[in-house]
Amino acid sequence: MAQVAITLNVNGRNQTTLAEPREILADVLRDRLGLTGTHLGCEHGVCGACTVLLDGEMVRSCLLFAVQAQGAEITTIEGLEENGELHPMQKAFSEYHGLQCGFCTPGMILAGIDLLKRNPDPTAEEVRDDMGGNVCRCTGYQKIVESVLGAAREMNEVTS
Amino acid sequence: MTTTEWIGARAPRREDPALIRGRGRYVADINLPGTLHMAILRSPMGHASINSIDASEARTMDGVHMVITPDDIPDHITQFPVVWRLPGQKDSGIPALAEGKVRYVGEPVAAVVADSRYAAEDALDAIDVDYETLDPVTDPEAALEEGAPVINEDWGDNVAIHHVFAGYNALGECHYDAEAFDNAEVTVRGRLKIGRHSGIPLETRGIVADWDEIHGRLTVHSESQVAHLFRTELAASLGLPETAVRVLTPNMGGGFGNKWDRYPEDLLVSIASMELGRPVKWIADRREGLMSTVHGRAQVQEWEMALQSDGTILGLRGKVINDLGAHLHSVGIGPAWVTGAAAPNQYKIANYYCNVIAAATNKTPASTFRGFGGPEGIFGAERMMDKAAKRLGMDPAEIRRKNMIQPDQFPWFNAAGAVYDSGNFPACLEKALEAADYDRVRAEQKELREQGVYRGIGISSYIHVSGFGPSPILGYLSYYTGGYEGSTVKVDPNGKATVYTGMIPMGQGTETTLAQVAAHHLGIDMADVRVVWGDTDQTPYTGFGSAGSRSNVAAVAVIRAVEEIKAKAVRIGAGMLEADAEDLEYADGMVSVKGAEEMRSVSLAQVAQQAYWAHALPEGDQPFLEATYVYDPPNFTTASGCHVVVLDVDTNTGRITFRNYVIVDDCGPVINPLLVEGQIHGGVAQALGGALLEEFVYDDEGQLLTTSFMDYLLPSFTDVPDMEIHHVVTPSPHTDGGFKGMGEAGTFPPGAAVANAVTDALSHLGVEADELPITPSRLWSLIQEATR
Amino acid sequence: MKPAAFEYHAPESVDDAVGLLSGHEDAKVLAGGQSLVPMMSFRLARPAGIVDINGISDLDYIRCEDGVVRIGATARQSALEESGEVTGCAPLLAEATGHVGHRAIRNRGTLAGSLAHNDPASEYPAVLMALGASVTAVSSGGSRVLSVEDLAGGHFLSTALGSDELITEVSVPAQSGGHGFAEFSRRHGDFAVAGVAAVVSMNGSGVESASIAAFGGTSPARLDEAETALVGSDGGSSAVAEAAARAASQFPATDDIHGSADYRRALIDVLTRQALQQAIAGAQEV
Repeated sequence: MAQVAITLNVNGRNQTTLAEPREILADVLRDRLGLTGTHLGCEHGVCGACTVLLDGEMVRSCLLFAVQAQGAEITTIEGLEENGELHPMQKAFSEYHGLQCGFCTPGMILAGIDLLKRNPDPTAEEVRDDMGGNVCRCTGYQKIVESVLGAAREMNEVTS
Repeated sequence: MTTTEWIGARAPRREDPALIRGRGRYVADINLPGTLHMAILRSPMGHASINSIDASEARTMDGVHMVITPDDIPDHITQFPVVWRLPGQKDSGIPALAEGKVRYVGEPVAAVVADSRYAAEDALDAIDVDYETLDPVTDPEAALEEGAPVINEDWGDNVAIHHVFAGYNALGECHYDAEAFDNAEVTVRGRLKIGRHSGIPLETRGIVADWDEIHGRLTVHSESQVAHLFRTELAASLGLPETAVRVLTPNMGGGFGNKWDRYPEDLLVSIASMELGRPVKWIADRREGLMSTVHGRAQVQEWEMALQSDGTILGLRGKVINDLGAHLHSVGIGPAWVTGAAAPNQYKIANYYCNVIAAATNKTPASTFRGFGGPEGIFGAERMMDKAAKRLGMDPAEIRRKNMIQPDQFPWFNAAGAVYDSGNFPACLEKALEAADYDRVRAEQKELREQGVYRGIGISSYIHVSGFGPSPILGYLSYYTGGYEGSTVKVDPNGKATVYTGMIPMGQGTETTLAQVAAHHLGIDMADVRVVWGDTDQTPYTGFGSAGSRSNVAAVAVIRAVEEIKAKAVRIGAGMLEADAEDLEYADGMVSVKGAEEMRSVSLAQVAQQAYWAHALPEGDQPFLEATYVYDPPNFTTASGCHVVVLDVDTNTGRITFRNYVIVDDCGPVINPLLVEGQIHGGVAQALGGALLEEFVYDDEGQLLTTSFMDYLLPSFTDVPDMEIHHVVTPSPHTDGGFKGMGEAGTFPPGAAVANAVTDALSHLGVEADELPITPSRLWSLIQEATR
Repeated sequence: MKPAAFEYHAPESVDDAVGLLSGHEDAKVLAGGQSLVPMMSFRLARPAGIVDINGISDLDYIRCEDGVVRIGATARQSALEESGEVTGCAPLLAEATGHVGHRAIRNRGTLAGSLAHNDPASEYPAVLMALGASVTAVSSGGSRVLSVEDLAGGHFLSTALGSDELITEVSVPAQSGGHGFAEFSRRHGDFAVAGVAAVVSMNGSGVESASIAAFGGTSPARLDEAETALVGSDGGSSAVAEAAARAASQFPATDDIHGSADYRRALIDVLTRQALQQAIAGAQEV
């Protein structure tokens, strides 16, 4: 199949790769750019494991052809650490045991960050409502909710 | 944390730093140079014979390297065996591809290996299979009827086994008394159904096989929960010496038992890699994951309970029909057997009888799934307790109190052959009732009902026979593997320790747990312990691996290996300190003269150095400071507990809303409370899925209707309530540390607790929630029938 | 689950887009892709060509002009949630949007795309019917305006659009009166098992007008019998109950694994009551 050149700005770096137009963004990130932190759990947009930020907005990378992201800025889980410092959401997931197998975790962390961007001080109920598009099979969600609330407290302390 | 008291600490997980950075390494992340990709052509029909397969076009397509049809499989390749082969059980195996006929939707028919998964799927479209439809059978009871279509011709019928629990306990005593049922003041009957569902790890199955022609070595990157047994079986099926096979298990994205089994694709990628001389990778997509990874739980149960009018149980007997699916899988009918063994639950039931029948149906094989038949047995027991209470006009808590095995009655020999080692069942019940404020909620329930709010309270007590298991007993049960767990602990010349385990971490924090145990007993910092797992070339053999809630078994192996190291450290230390070994003790990573710890002591590192220099070793001791201990537990450990759920039912829509969820768990002493809470939360959520949402639905033709996450519904954030966890601690009397298995217990009681609560909420209508999942539509129909 | 190959086109103008569609018998328009891409991954859809309209920058707008909210074909659903035009002029549309999938889906999904896909369990077609909305469809032969009722009503996973037509705009007349929205889904964010959207206006003597539409059946449906029962009534509980009963009987219910037709009718009854109560309360405030 004919491949096309696709340039993406991933985690702050421009990268160009060849891919067929039918290749979904998640496959290109994982298999062509080696960013395997973005996971595929369903490939039909239900589980949220493949969540990435596209031009700052949370999207499912399994529901997008990579060619559609031509020229876009993409943030994956690998791009959250800044100067060796973890994002507070990453720290909170570990501190509050918000992960077990870790497969949903990259998507969960990105969804949590996106939530706090829109609602910096959510209630537990708001976390559950907003993050319902991400499925976890291990934790029963309670400690994920605690993680997001913990990260919110931490981030609000820093900004206030 | 500066402590050596690691056991009991909420130690953060050492698995986390990689996983929160997206630096975990799962099978799908492994891209070896030259990797080819496999896609599988699966049966679109429930039951059909295969007249022919024409793959000629697919073989010539661009990017296609190989097409595997049954004719392409070398003759010496054999099926994977069934591991648990109870006497009287039909024989079958797990073939690489369907042989002459397909028996379920999703059964592999052919495979394509191509440059990319995209290209491989393109070629699947070009394979032409000529099927001839056969009559399907999808209902397990219909499958048992005379004249039903036979799925496995060599069986003669669809009965995989008819196993009878005739009331014998482990002492060989039998108290089954049919007359007691005839003469009882009260008998209560129930017919219960549990829907087909499964573990559905968020990471699907996947495997990479890499054949090295020069060295004659097959390296397999797999998510097997039991890598060593997998190695044994894979080598045998491929006709390779076992030394030729190495199984590596990287991070696993959840297993839940489903990844304990062997699968056709394991053979297919291996065959392809050996033929092509290149790495071959297959990752299940979600659709094929739902149709080809083992299902579980599906049962029809019929029970009869005999009681005195005061609520004393005189006997329990019943029939369990297990919807097995098309053929036996790795564990045979094991889960259904466990259902029969678990159903007496926490109660003094000596008069017991249970027929367990496994029926083949044109569905995906049912096999290993977290809880392994136990949750099904608890569902039966606890629904029957509530039915009996209702009949007698007793409070559901009271009837449980009245019949519970008391703390001074252990070991308890249950009437299905299980031996409960310890527990305090009444304490768990009372604590749960107190935490749920049971009396107040009962009082409120009446008032709310008058306002049109239908609130229900459901109790479910449970036992979980965990920590599989004593190898001789597994032999007695014709379970062809061992139940021991080994551990090698090595202290390096600088005094840091490495633990080697055959256990496979699948998310439950095994690495952290075993590091805690080793650090605690060595008296050193947890950071100074490394845990090696996931490589059959390095780790001790295990026939069981991660299944059956057995981190507790692995923990004892670590403790005992550490004890041997400490004893050797004392012997070496004696020479260094010029003292008698009897005058020395090992504590906090130091060997010291008792009473003079400040003055005369040497550190583990100093001892280790001597152990490797070997300049002056005690007589009879070899260099190195390491030990291997293989622990074969003398008995199972019995975890137990009680859940109390409070919920509201909207009678207009059948919607259930949780109001409270209380858990009391007794898994003995807790190694890491953080991890134990996580395991319980996750187990409960998974069971609530099966209780309310999850079901594999087949139509009468055997077509699977739930092949996406739009149809097979996993619980999400708003479907799982906040849970309140309390502990009762009854140490196992026979394991070091008293630890009991706990990874599965959360899955045991929720089904019954929810069904009991729903039934309680609708008691004014006489609705009995006897079928899981209790979907809104199903519950609405029950309410309609009751009010008609 | 990897899509079959296709020719990819990224036109930069509507003219180019409809030109591509007219030249391509088997081409599909790709807007948000939140339904199309999974169907392609399952290989349930195998278009030979994809016309990606996301690069047509002048289709990304939400405006309120002359009492009509105009929403361009590539405006994201999440933009509707945050748009003052939508919350001000068509609050029903804003409220319903919160029930469409999850945030990550709404960040890509479009209103026009949802209409063109016309999943019968989707909120938008029914909501837009209740609002009396219409679409502008453009082809190389020109453009036409269709009501959403004509576009989507009676259709199942298809519409009255020709394969060469592209929806460029959805126009929603400013909502007059109170609105109600109620749906029942298995889980938060799922497609609905059943749902009802309503707009009701009141005058001094009672219900002046009512517009009620439902989803979750064989196709999105305007429930005119329920409307008739309600209009002219006092909007009290017995009128609402009568309207709800008619809604349930008129609703084109269907069986699937999430519920029987009978169950869906019962839900429509309950949901119609909820939606009408909300709408009437809102209309009385107006």
